[in-house]
Amino acid sequence: MPVDSRRLQGPENSFSYKLLEKKNDNEEEAALSADLQKILIGTNKVRKDKRIPSDARPLCNVTITGIVSQAKGSAYIEQGNTKLVCGVYGPREVQKKSDFSLNGQLFCEFKFAPFSCQKRRGHQQDNEELVLSGLLREALEAAVCLHQFPKAQVEVNVMVIENDGSPLAAALTCASLALASASIPMYDLVIGTSVRQLPKLLLLDPTKDEEWEPELNHDEDNSNLTIGFMPSTHQIAAYVHEGVSKTEDLEQMLKLATEYCLKVQPVVQLCLKEVVEKTLSNESENKVDE
Amino acid sequence: MAEILLSEAEKAFIHHGVQDDLRCDGRTRLDYRPIILETGLVSNASGSARLRLANSDILVGVKVELASPSPDKPQEGRLEFFVDCSANATPEFEGRGGEDLANEICRFLQRSYASGDTINLAELSILSGQQCWVLYVDILILECGGNLYDATFMAVKSALYATQIPSIKVATMDGDQPELELSDDPYDTKRLNTENLPCVVTLMKIGNHYLVDPTPEEECCSSSGIVVAVSGNKKITAVRKIGSGSLHPDSLVSMLKTGSDVGAKVNKTLMIKLLEEKNLEKSQKVGFMR
Repeated sequence: MPVDSRRLQGPENSFSYKLLEKKNDNEEEAALSADLQKILIGTNKVRKDKRIPSDARPLCNVTITGIVSQAKGSAYIEQGNTKLVCGVYGPREVQKKSDFSLNGQLFCEFKFAPFSCQKRRGHQQDNEELVLSGLLREALEAAVCLHQFPKAQVEVNVMVIENDGSPLAAALTCASLALASASIPMYDLVIGTSVRQLPKLLLLDPTKDEEWEPELNHDEDNSNLTIGFMPSTHQIAAYVHEGVSKTEDLEQMLKLATEYCLKVQPVVQLCLKEVVEKTLSNESENKVDE
Repeated sequence: MAEILLSEAEKAFIHHGVQDDLRCDGRTRLDYRPIILETGLVSNASGSARLRLANSDILVGVKVELASPSPDKPQEGRLEFFVDCSANATPEFEGRGGEDLANEICRFLQRSYASGDTINLAELSILSGQQCWVLYVDILILECGGNLYDATFMAVKSALYATQIPSIKVATMDGDQPELELSDDPYDTKRLNTENLPCVVTLMKIGNHYLVDPTPEEECCSSSGIVVAVSGNKKITAVRKIGSGSLHPDSLVSMLKTGSDVGAKVNKTLMIKLLEEKNLEKSQKVGFMR
C-alpha cells in the first residue's frame, strides 16, 4: 500500500477500542450459526430495527438537485443510516493520459469518508475502495449510452458519509440518479440492493451488523449478495457475491433482490419526475420574467 | 486485460464458432486449454507453483513468516495476497498500468479465501493473541494469454498445497514473551489442508452462449461474464460480474450452475494431479526450461 508522504502518518498499529468490548463476551464470538441467527433476529422473526426479513429499509431523504451545486448532476441518498452523496461531472474532454476510445468513458471514484465506518479509513483510496470503484464503473457502463458522447468522459464521484451496510447497493442507486439528473443518456436506471443469506433465512438490505463477515466457525450458507438491476430492461448490471452458498440459494437470493428492485423502481422514477417538473417550472417562470 | 484489436469480420467468425460449439482452436464451449503445472520450483519460497494455461503464465511463491495476529482475530493466522502484473506480460502493464487488474484479482482472492469453510486459519495460530503464521502469497503474472482468474487461482491453490510450514513449539514463557523453539529437523514440516480451497471458473458470454476458459480474442468479443469461485465441496464462495455489459437473471443463474459444476471438476482434477506430482521423485522436476 503506497502511503502519502506529505501527510503526517499516525501510529500504524492503532486499533478501534471497540475490539476490546467484544473480547469480554466470548460467548458471542464462539456462537454457532444458529445462535448467530438468534442474535440477528429474535424468536418472533423481527430484526433489531423492527423489520421483517424480507423488508428493506425505506429510501428516505432522496435529494437530487443542488446537493453539489457545482456538479452537473448530483444526488444524496439515505437508506437507513447509510448515507451517501454522488456528484457527476461532464461530459468533458478526455484527459490526455488515458487511451483513446471512440465511445464515451466513465470514471468512477468510490470513497468512504475517514469517519464513515467503525474502523477509521485512510485518506487515500484503499484496495477495497478501488475495487468498489471498478464495480461501480462496470455497472454504470452497462446503463449509460456511451456512444452518445464520443471521445468525452463523465466523472462519477461517490462519497459515503455514513456506512451502515450495503454501501455499494446505495451507491448504485444514487449514482444512476445523479447521472440522470445530469442529463446523461441512459438505457435504464440501475437500482442496487443487497441480500444477506443466513442458514434457511434471507435478509433483504442488511445493516452493518447483519452483513456477512468472514468467520472461522460458522460459515456454511452464510453470504452477502449485492446486485445492480435495471428494472425496465430486466438486466443485471452488477453482481457481487461473497461467502459460502449453494447454487440453489443464490437463485433464491437473486429472485428476492430483483423483486425488491422492481418495487423500488416507481419510487426512484417519481423522484426524477419531480426534479424534471421543478426545473421545467423554473424555466417557464424565468421566461415570464423576461 | 490485454487489449487486442479485432476486425468486425474476425469477431463475427468467433461469434459463429461459439454458436456452433466449435471454437477457433477446436474446443467446445466447456473445454479448457492444456495446462502445465509444476510445484516447488523456487527454492527460497516455502511453497511455489508455476502454471501455464496455454499462453497465460503464472508463478506463485508462498513465504511463511511469523507475526502477531490481528487484534480482532487473535486465534487466527492470516493469508496475504499480492498480485504483480509484470510488464513482460503485455506492454500495457508497464508502470502502474496493471494495477487495476492486479487489485481486482487480489481482492477476489481475499474474498473467496475469507470464509472459514475454505481454509482453516486456526491451523496457522501458534499462540493465541501472541504469535501466528502469516502466509505471504505473491503472484507474478509473467504472460497474459487470457483467463487470468482461473490460472491464478489454480496456481495459488497448488502453491499452498506445496507449502511446508515448519513445526514450531512454544517452549517457555519468559515473562510475557513466549519463547519459540523451531524444530531441528528441516523435514519436520506440516502441510495445510488444501482440499477445500476454491478454484475459479470464468464464464464469458458471447452471443446467446457462454464459454469457459476464454482466449484473449474471445475476451475481446464478449462484453460481460462472471467469475465464480467454487470450493472443493462444490459450494460457491464468491462471484462477481466482469465486463461492462449486463446479463439477464435467467442466463446468470444458468451460468452459475455451469460454473459450479465445472469448478468442482477442475478442483477434483487439480487435487488428483497435485497428489500425483507429490509422489514423483525429485529428479523428475522440469523447471522453467521447457
